[in-house]
Parts: sequence; C-alpha cells; structure tokens
Amino acid sequence: MKKKLLSGLLCAAMVGTLFVGCGSSADTGATEDAGASTESTDTASTDAEATTDSAAGGATGTYALVPKSAGNPFNEKEADGFTEAIEAMGGTAVVQYPESATADAQITVIESLISQGVDSICVAANDENALQSVLEEAMDAGIKVCSVDSSVNKDSRAVHCNQAGVDEIGLALIDAVYDISGGEGQFAILSATSQATNQNAWIDSMKSYMESDSKYANLELVEVAYGDDESQKSTDQTQALLQKYPDLKVICSPTTVGIAAAAKVLQDQGSSVKLTGLGLPSEMAAYIGDGDDFSCPYMFLWNPIDLGALGAYTSVALVNGEITGAEGDTFTCELGDYTVVSAADGGTEIILGAPFKFDPSNIDEWKEVY
Amino acid sequence: MAGKSGRTIANTIDKPWKKVILSWEGVLVLLFIAINILCIAISPVYNATNLLRESPKYLAEMLLLFPMAYLLLLGEIDISVGSIVCLAATMACMASNAGVPFFGVVCIAIITGLACGAFNGFITIKFRELPTMIITLGTQIVFRGIAEIALGSGGSISLTDSSGFKLLNGKIGIFPYSFFLIIICAIVFTVIADRRNYGRKLYAIGSNAKTAFYSGIKVKQTILIAFIVIGVFAGLSGLFLTSTAYGANTTTGKNFEMDAIAMAVFGGVSNMGGKGKLYGAFVSAFTIMCLRIGLGQINVNSQVILIILGLLLICAVLLPNIAGMISAKKRTAK
Amino acid sequence: MENKSLLKKLTASREVSLLIVLVVLCALISIKTPTFLGWSNVSEILKNNSTTMIMALGMLLVLLIGGIDISIGSTLALSGMTIGILYKYNHMSSTFLGFLLATVIGIACGAIIGVIISYGKVSPIICTLGTMYVYRGFAYLVANDEWAGADALGTFKDFALKSFLGINSAVWITIICYVIFFIMMKWTKFGRNIYAVGSNEEAAEISGINVKLVKTLVYTIMGGLSGLTGAVMTCVYASAQPNMATGKEMDVIAACVIGGVSMTGGRGSVGGALIGALILSVISKALPLVGIDALAQNTVKGVIIIAVIILNVVTQRMMDKAALEKREM
Repeated sequence: MKKKLLSGLLCAAMVGTLFVGCGSSADTGATEDAGASTESTDTASTDAEATTDSAAGGATGTYALVPKSAGNPFNEKEADGFTEAIEAMGGTAVVQYPESATADAQITVIESLISQGVDSICVAANDENALQSVLEEAMDAGIKVCSVDSSVNKDSRAVHCNQAGVDEIGLALIDAVYDISGGEGQFAILSATSQATNQNAWIDSMKSYMESDSKYANLELVEVAYGDDESQKSTDQTQALLQKYPDLKVICSPTTVGIAAAAKVLQDQGSSVKLTGLGLPSEMAAYIGDGDDFSCPYMFLWNPIDLGALGAYTSVALVNGEITGAEGDTFTCELGDYTVVSAADGGTEIILGAPFKFDPSNIDEWKEVY
Repeated sequence: MAGKSGRTIANTIDKPWKKVILSWEGVLVLLFIAINILCIAISPVYNATNLLRESPKYLAEMLLLFPMAYLLLLGEIDISVGSIVCLAATMACMASNAGVPFFGVVCIAIITGLACGAFNGFITIKFRELPTMIITLGTQIVFRGIAEIALGSGGSISLTDSSGFKLLNGKIGIFPYSFFLIIICAIVFTVIADRRNYGRKLYAIGSNAKTAFYSGIKVKQTILIAFIVIGVFAGLSGLFLTSTAYGANTTTGKNFEMDAIAMAVFGGVSNMGGKGKLYGAFVSAFTIMCLRIGLGQINVNSQVILIILGLLLICAVLLPNIAGMISAKKRTAK
Repeated sequence: MENKSLLKKLTASREVSLLIVLVVLCALISIKTPTFLGWSNVSEILKNNSTTMIMALGMLLVLLIGGIDISIGSTLALSGMTIGILYKYNHMSSTFLGFLLATVIGIACGAIIGVIISYGKVSPIICTLGTMYVYRGFAYLVANDEWAGADALGTFKDFALKSFLGINSAVWITIICYVIFFIMMKWTKFGRNIYAVGSNEEAAEISGINVKLVKTLVYTIMGGLSGLTGAVMTCVYASAQPNMATGKEMDVIAACVIGGVSMTGGRGSVGGALIGALILSVISKALPLVGIDALAQNTVKGVIIIAVIILNVVTQRMMDKAALEKREM
C-alpha cells in the first residue's frame, strides 16, 4: 500500500514541479517583457478594439517584434527602441526572441504570434527566404508584416525598414578602407557567417564600387574570411590573415563580434594593420583612437534604438492604414518624415538615414548609449 | 523490477489497470493531460486549431524520434541527424530548382538521407570499438559541411517553384499531413518493436550485445538497418521542413538530434540500451510539444522555456530513481 | 629485424603514434606556411586553445569513469558571463577574485551534476543534456541581453596580455593544470581510484572505493575547470557573451577521443588528452592558413577527425595483434 501511495505522491510532485516551474517562469517573463502574461490575456480584447478604431491615429493594438537572437546588445537596444515607441503611442509591444539565431527558431516564434492574433509583426530575419511561408500565413490572417535590420524577401513583407541604404554602407566602408590605407594596398574582409544576408549585400556593394570606380583601382581585396560571429573563430581568422598577407594594410569587418575580436588581435600585437567596419561603440571604445596604440581609427554604425523605433512607427502606420507599403507612401513620426522607396530586391523599403561615424572625438559619448 | 519499460515506479502490482497507470507511460499520459489543462489555463489562444497550426516544425522533428528510439534501444546514438536533415533539404531544393520533377526531388532527399545513414552505419559496424557518439560527431560536421559547400557563399537556397512542396504542407481539415504520417509511424514502429522479429533483436542487442551475438543474432546487420532507417527518416524530415520554409540554409535542422534524444529519453527510452517503450516516446513528444507551444503563446522568454525543459528532463529520470531508492531502503529496514 | 623493432616501438604506445600524427600534420603545414612553427604562432595557438586544452583534462576524468558531460559549454558561459557582468557594473575589480569566483561557480554547477548522476543514478548524457539547457538559460538570464566588452572588463583583460618567462599567462594556467593532473593521475590514490572505477565499477566498490564519491568529485572537477576556462576565455578574448562556447563540448570530447581516451571508461592518459587537444588546435589554426576555401573548412575538419579516430582503432588493433603474437610465441 505504501508503495502505491508513494508512487501517487510522486506523480503529484512531478506535476507540481511543473506548475511551480511555469509559475516562476511567467513571473520572470513578466518582469522582463514588461508584463508578458498580462499582455497576452488582454490580447483577445484589445484585438477586437484595434480593428474597429484603428483609423484613429494612435496605437491601440498589440505589435510584435522578432529580433535575430537573444543575448546580443544590438538586438536588445533595437527591442528597447521598439517597445518605447509603441508604448508611447499607447499600444502593447511584444518582443519575443527566438531560442537561437536560426530561421527555424524564428518560424516557431512567428507561428506563436499568429496564434496570439497580434496586429503586426516586425522581424529581423536570420534567413531572407526561409520565413516566407510563415509570413504569408501571417498576412493571410490579416497581420501586417514588415522587416527591420535584416530583410525578408519581397513577397513576405509589406515594407522593409533599412538602417541605411546598402550602397551607402558599401560606399562608406570602401571609402574608409581607401582613406585608412592611403589609397592603395591590400585589404581583407572579416565577415560573420557565409549566409548573413546583410553582410553579403554590403560586401557585394563594396566589390561593385571597386569595379566601377577607378579611384579604388589600387586597392586589392585579398580575402573574405568568415568568423561565424564567434570570438575564437574570428580571432583565428584574423591571425591567419595577418600571417598569410604580410603586406596587408587594412581589415574591414562589417560585423560586431568580428570587429571586436579583430581589434583585440591587432591592438595586442601592436600590428601596423588598421581596422574599420561596423561595430558597437560600447564594445569598441577601448580600441578606437588615433595613433599606433589603437587599432581602429574610426568605424560606422547606426542607432539601433532609432532603428527599433522606426520599425515600431512603420508597424503602427501599416496597421492604421496610413501606408500600405507601396512605393511613394509617406508618413510622419517622432523621428521625422519618411517615404517608402523601392528596394534593390524589387520590394519596398524605408531608409533610416546615413551610417553614423564613430571616431575618437565622439566615442566616449556614445559608448554609454549603446 | 526492471522489465522492458525504462522506468518502473512501483514494484509489484496486482491489478493490470494499476500497472498501466503506475508505469512510466501511464504517468506520461497523466502529465500530458495536466500540461494541456495548464496550457489552457494560462493561454487564452491555446486550442486545437492553433496547436495543430503551430505543429509542423515539431512534427518534422518527431519523424526522427522513432528511429532515434530504435538506436537508443540498441545502445547507440546518432547526433548527426540534424546535419543529415540539412543536407537532404539542401539537395532537395537544388534538385527542385534544377527542374527535377517533384517525385524525383522526394527520391533525391530520401536517397541522400539513406546514403548518410548507411555511411554512419558502415563505419559503426566496421569499427565496433568506436562509440557511435564520436563517429556521428565527426559526420555531423562533415554532412553539414558538405551542405555548406553546396550552398556556396550565400549559405541559403530558396525554391523557385514551391508547388510540389506546398502539396506536402497540405492539411485535411485542421490536421496537417505530417500529423497522420507521425501516427502511422508510431503504429508501425511500435508494432515492429513489440511484435516483430526485428524488434526483439533490438531489445536483445541493447540488453547485451555479446549474448545476442552468441545466440545467433546478426548484430551488425541489425545496427546497419537502424542507421539506414534513421537516415531515410532524416531525409523525409528535411522534405517536410523544406515545405514549411520554401528553402534550406546552413542552420536547417540544427539541434534536431538533441531534441529527438530528449523526447525519446523523456518517454522512458534508456540511452543505455534495451529499455523503453515507443508509445512512451510518442506521448512524451506530444507532451513536450504542447508545453512549448503553450508557453510560447504567453511569450515566456525562450531561454526560460529551455530551462524548464532541461529541469523536466532531469526530474523525469531523477524522481522515479529517488522513489525507487526510498522504497528499497524501506524494504531493507523491514 | 631492425625495421620490425622500430615499427613495434612506434606502435607500442598509442601516444607515440598520435605524436607522429601531430608531427606529420605540423610538417605538412610548415611546408605550405613556413612561419607556422614560429614561436609567436605556437604561442598564439596555445593561448587561443587553452580553453579546449584545460577542459580536455576534466573531460579525460569524466570519460575515464565511463561518463560524459555535454553541459561544459554552458557552465563555461554561465561563469564567464557572471564575472563579466560583475566587472561591467564595477562590483568587482580584482583579477584573482574573478578567476576564483568563476571557478567556484563552475564547481557548484559540476557538483550538482555529480550528485544527480552518482546519487540519483541518472545516466550522464541525460543529466548533462538537461543541465546544458538549464545553465545556458541562466547564462542568458544573467547577461540580460548585454555583453561585457573590452571596455567593461577593465584591468581583468590585461591578464591575458602579461607573460612570464616569455610565456603568456593564459598558457601558464594551462601548463599548471597539466602538471597538477599529471601528478594526480600518476601518483595519487585519487587518480588510481578513477582508473579503478572506470575499469570495473563493481570491483572498485567491493575493494573499498567510495565509487559515488569519486564520481561526484570527477564531475565537480570538470565543472571547476569549465568555470576556470570561462574566466580564461573572457580574459583572452576580452569579451563575455551568453552564447559563448556553444558546441565547445563536442570539440573537447573529440580532443579526448582523438587522444586515445576510451569513451567506455578506464583507458586514457593526460598525455593523450594533451596531444588530442593539440591536434585539434593545430587543425583549426591551420585550415584558414593553408588556403582551404572558407566554406570547405568544416568539412575538412570533420574528415580529419574521423580519419584520426579510425587510425586510432587501427593502431590499437595492430597493438593487440602484436601482443597476441608475442603470447603465442
């Protein structure tokens, strides 16, 4: 008898553990996602309202953001900007990170958001094409879809919020290489993974500038290395570049992990090779400076907070019907006036602005911000 | 005490229905019901329609569950399946874009899976000293590596014509096709494991490979078949995954192996071989799926979901063991 | 006759045959890149791979008792991230304290695993599969979507820049660990107990060894080393991220198995683990150097791993055969 009782207690304990586990997790979720659990219970009711008085101008519905991955300060700042902008307009923001930086994980999250019946989904894609099926499903369910940071293909979005034009970034980077190298010599690129949509587009743009403009004729791109956004691999790749090409003058790394790893290698070795690219000021502050003690004279980035906010304003404008994502649509928000323009992939996009230059004069100010 | 079931909770039970309820599989069914009640309570949008709509990715994973359970029963393991899924999906997409008719595409995916599985199996039986964990660790890198080479610098491929794959993604009512496929697999695999010759060989080899060998069982052949089967199913899984994503990339199927192993083990299949029931694995797979979908719907942080799953996995094995130890202690005290 | 004895010598010990593999690898790479064996390059290899090398020691013990631990990457991330955040918000500034705290966190993580496995009788792969998710999840929660970059780490990161007797301090940590483990495995009771438990658990139990305690201690040591490595990695790369060292466990296991450590327990040595880790380090360092296409690097790495472990089996078979012949004579 006792044994059976024990077994019964055991089952109860197992289920109990689960309930406790879920209860506490909902708590953490609530504190972190600004009241996640209350949001979701309200979803159904706000939903109905949203459809009726959506033309009123403000934001009353639930707007979702799906960043690339958790645990990355760039994505975090983007999410902060998104949440603040939505809440300032009176809406409810849902930020749901995928469990890893893959398209598969994002599909799972988006499916869940469709179930919740959110009004809009704003996604920073890990793969350009893989989300098409699920985003089409979302659009069929009446959800407005836009992409931010890293675009999805033209069939799966209304509009893309681009941090800066691809060609603008390509030009800024190749000009930086031109400037730092003194106009001639070898340079290498240290990218993220081989399938990173953004990085590939920027590198292609740099290459096309080198071909089309004779100004860059004396620059030689010796290699595009991939550090997979891992510190160790990026470090190994940087050291390999230095050993393979003794005449290397500049490394250009258009990715936050890669540039920080490369900066450390160059600075520790006191190498004469200089670095530029795209990086987070808070991560790069120790490496940016004039002279031989610092490895990076200057680099670029855009404001992730503003980028998130632009995603938020675009989502609201789409839901309210102010824009449809067609070329030539305009809308006004806190950040200014924006026009929908055609994008290189045949879809449409909204461009935040030019990439911002971080140099020794302003790095101390910006490292506190993001 | 240690019957075929992976974990027995009570030792001697007189009534058969009690035996069912107090077995690990019985507890899983109760847990499944409890989790569904919990999910309905916490998520207002948790219903059959949404559940099945969100299910295809999990169902594609579940295709790997039964063959993985076979391998675990044998005392082997395959951590390269995620990579096989990736390679098969890549090959299928490339074939489809090259104008191969859809039937051919299906064949190519399955043959890719079969070849990979056969390669794993071949090395395993040729070098029995090597644990399969380390063999498949190597092939895990190689198979995904081949996909990386095939995909080139873009690292991603999308279908130019997805009409064939859309067929795969179809539904009967609210039930996706893959749901029925899983049910059929569950039945077939369970019947083979419990009632057929091959199934008895699995349990025999898993319990003691040497004894099995000396009693005339073709150990190597049995292991090779199990690896080929998991390869084929990885190919199928790749097809279904492609049908939900209209393409493939270098991260397709990442971590599928760990998810499949976790589902099987949670279902009571022992990774030491020879113990466990396939229907337990089936119930546990759906339990985990429901829990993940339910927690996802209330926007629980995805890392927290993983923490819960990890704890659940450990508790699922730990608690019955503790109970067993306590009752054993009591018996000796008497 | 002369030839035969040489061949016998070469195949007599697994470590020697592995050493030959390592030397051949290095020679081949040096032909292509003459600077490969230069001091600065060797020093870089040792420094960048100190993580794999240190954890290979712990994994050696775990594999020796017939266990496995696939949560070490997560333990590393949790401890590295925790000290990273503490430095970032200026709760701590001492370098020594950082290393100590990281190790203590690792020890706690490892002890939990050890107790669950040995006293709870949970199979190692299941337990560590669970803790892999749990510890990684906690690393993300601790990080709270932030990184600890070079600026945030302050003076802590300078530790990996210092050298003593021309050898980098991160490499010194590796050397010290290896010396301690070499002595421990060779000459202490605990080391022999580990081999005893791995070779035959029941026999060890009967002969009076507290098997459960040994197992728990082994996982605790593994955890402690992972924690220490968390600090080393944060220091060497001047960056702590919650997703750091994802998949590292597989590298470490591969290093041990390449080094001839048996996954079924009881067989393996500190020297083997060292050579295994070195072979892996040399491969990952050399692949981008010798001009293999970036996209093909993973495939080549996988093929080399499979080739080396198969070579291991073949040499073992030859050794067994030779031993058998000797007996027949």
